[in-house]
Amino acid sequence: MVRLLLEVRNLSYFIERKRILEDINFKLFPGEVLGIVGPNGAGKTTLLKLISGILQPSEGKVLVEGKSIKKFNRREISKKIAMVPQNTYTSFPFTAFDVVLMGRHPHVGRFKQETEKDLNKVKECMLLAGIWHLRDKKITEISGGELQKVFIAQAISQETPILLLDEPTSHLDINSQLEIMEIVAELNKKKRKSVVLVSHDLNLAARYSGRMILLKEGKVFAQGKVEEVLTSENIKRVYHLNALVRKHPVTGSIYTLPVSFRVNSKDKGEVRRKRKVHLIGGGGSASRMIKELCDGGYDVSLGVVNVFDADFETAKLFEVPCVVEAPFSPITSESYEKNIRFIRESELVILCNVPFGEGNLLNLEAALEALEMGVEVLVQNKVPVEKRDYTGGKAKKIFEKLLDKGAHLVEDEREVTRFVEEFFKSRVRQEVRR
Amino acid sequence: MTARNTVFSFLGVALVVVFLLGLSVGSVNIPLSVVLKGITKGFPFFRSFTGGEVKEGYLVILFNLRLPRVLLCVLVGAGLACAGCCMQGLFRNPMASPYVIGISSGASFGAALALLILPGIFSLPFAAFVSGVGTAFLVYRISQVKGKIPIERLLLSGIAVGFFFSAVTSFLMYIAAQDMHRLFFWIMGGFWASSWIRLFVAIPFIGFGIPGIFFFSRDLNIMQLGEESAITLGVEVELVKGVLLVLSSLIVAACVSVSGVIGFVGLIIPHLTRLFVGPDHRVLIPASSLVGGIFLAGCDILARTVVSPAELPVGIITSCFGAPFFIYLLTRRRW
Repeated sequence: MVRLLLEVRNLSYFIERKRILEDINFKLFPGEVLGIVGPNGAGKTTLLKLISGILQPSEGKVLVEGKSIKKFNRREISKKIAMVPQNTYTSFPFTAFDVVLMGRHPHVGRFKQETEKDLNKVKECMLLAGIWHLRDKKITEISGGELQKVFIAQAISQETPILLLDEPTSHLDINSQLEIMEIVAELNKKKRKSVVLVSHDLNLAARYSGRMILLKEGKVFAQGKVEEVLTSENIKRVYHLNALVRKHPVTGSIYTLPVSFRVNSKDKGEVRRKRKVHLIGGGGSASRMIKELCDGGYDVSLGVVNVFDADFETAKLFEVPCVVEAPFSPITSESYEKNIRFIRESELVILCNVPFGEGNLLNLEAALEALEMGVEVLVQNKVPVEKRDYTGGKAKKIFEKLLDKGAHLVEDEREVTRFVEEFFKSRVRQEVRR
Repeated sequence: MTARNTVFSFLGVALVVVFLLGLSVGSVNIPLSVVLKGITKGFPFFRSFTGGEVKEGYLVILFNLRLPRVLLCVLVGAGLACAGCCMQGLFRNPMASPYVIGISSGASFGAALALLILPGIFSLPFAAFVSGVGTAFLVYRISQVKGKIPIERLLLSGIAVGFFFSAVTSFLMYIAAQDMHRLFFWIMGGFWASSWIRLFVAIPFIGFGIPGIFFFSRDLNIMQLGEESAITLGVEVELVKGVLLVLSSLIVAACVSVSGVIGFVGLIIPHLTRLFVGPDHRVLIPASSLVGGIFLAGCDILARTVVSPAELPVGIITSCFGAPFFIYLLTRRRW
């Protein structure tokens, strides 16, 4: 059995009658990094303050190595848990060395001075954090990133098994952010220090955490492995935001990309909500249109794309119905038929900037078919068709036929949304006249 | 470390010089050689070096007037500077002074009561001390929330209570016209009424208060990072705050009761000392205490001599000479 380092059991915290945290339960095992994420005001910092004993819980308890934190005195807790607070400020010009040395406080008796051992420990920690050269600098005169490293060195010098980090990188540039997180990761790996990382930066937390807790309005919304917690469904429900969740091809960690605010379709006019637009995409060419049109409140469908295509991911995110083909497979006649069925229900078909090969020529045919059925077609041609034709001219031929039969041509991507808007406005005018 | 030793050696020498000057200078000047003979009179070993007899008149001045006065100056100066350091540390603000929580106004109110309303029942120092400590306690209780003392609350309630007692004191002065100059002089601060009794009254509070505060100097250092950080670094913040407030209140009340409300020392001396020794309270507290003692004893010499044979309230001197000197340092140093 793995020894338990920290356990939070049925923890609640109230201010007056207002609930800040409610019934929080989690465990921290030796050598792991636990990320705590959530929107502003979800109670992340309060949770850290309860763990570190700055605040006392209203209900429930915090156990350190199986023993309630209330049974420790202040000095004993400080030998178990170190914390790097969100922003620290002092107007008194202590040197960086003196500040790191303060981390030794719990280990130095009241009647005693710091010993040679303490001084060596401080040097070791400052070297580890890469700030030994700053030892004689005043902390009022160093940069934010350097200051943060000073406080991390201070927390390291406390020699605790548990390290709590509250937004350790919040006002730092991206270089300092990574530098600081790498120091923490190294501590975790080499010294088996257990870390609780509170952050509102989902990607940073995802990259450095093993497990994760997602807080929403003072409650645990989800907890578990990063990929189980950071799903676009969870993000949508906690942050009210559409976000792409992907695996980073280089670091292999999960990352999220906010795409748009979730639009309440009632806010947009009734007119738009009933307007159906069908997109013909693939290779990521339709993703931007999906977002624009969904944000605009149109009823969007997509066809035919392969599973794992970027357009397919985007369609899933925006809950857009779409016709899907197996990965790397050509469009079957069955999918083609499905596509035509979507087209038949639509008022406008947009043919995106898709590169064409033998496998997806049927998508071009579908656009042609749309014109035959009397559905208006809008053709995007930002990259000229010759340059994305991998069929030896077949695609170009169909494309030209499309234009001949009255498809609208729009060169600039940005013009498309305006075109769509104008298109439906004139439709509405016609309908009213009738 | 060596730099610190230099500072302390220098301060030690300065203290001895000021001490001897303080004994020698005054409306009656006593030559230094006589001062040395006088103070070594009781010690046969030292007397063998200094030798000779001292006139009885000199001895009376030296022992009954000058010695308690100079000692009291040093003690009060040290006490105010140390309490100032402590308050600046507690409030994490270099502009705090020992009077920030209203002790001076409270003590003045007590003094006014003793002088103007109930003359002769309580001695002035006693009344001032009791009402000074009482005010501190009142402010402390007002600021307390759920067993904790939020520092902003302490500051605000100190200011409010201070203003209230100032107003009441002014009112007392307004309705009682006689004896007003005595109160006025007392409020300005001075050492003309020094005596062995006053010295012995002040010694326990200041003599134990300063080491008491020094004892918590490491905690005070860590508290400069903020109370929450201090808690996670193992400091019992509320306990330390309580003890330090009690100790510094006792020191300040004792100082005020024996010498009136002397301004400037408690605010500027810690600041000035910080310029030279840095912010570490383990050095700053003893160094400020020494500088405060030296500075106030020096100012008292001036107070006695500038308009001799009359005397100025020492509070005038501390501000008149101290402030320009401090401003000079401020403009020369950048930090």
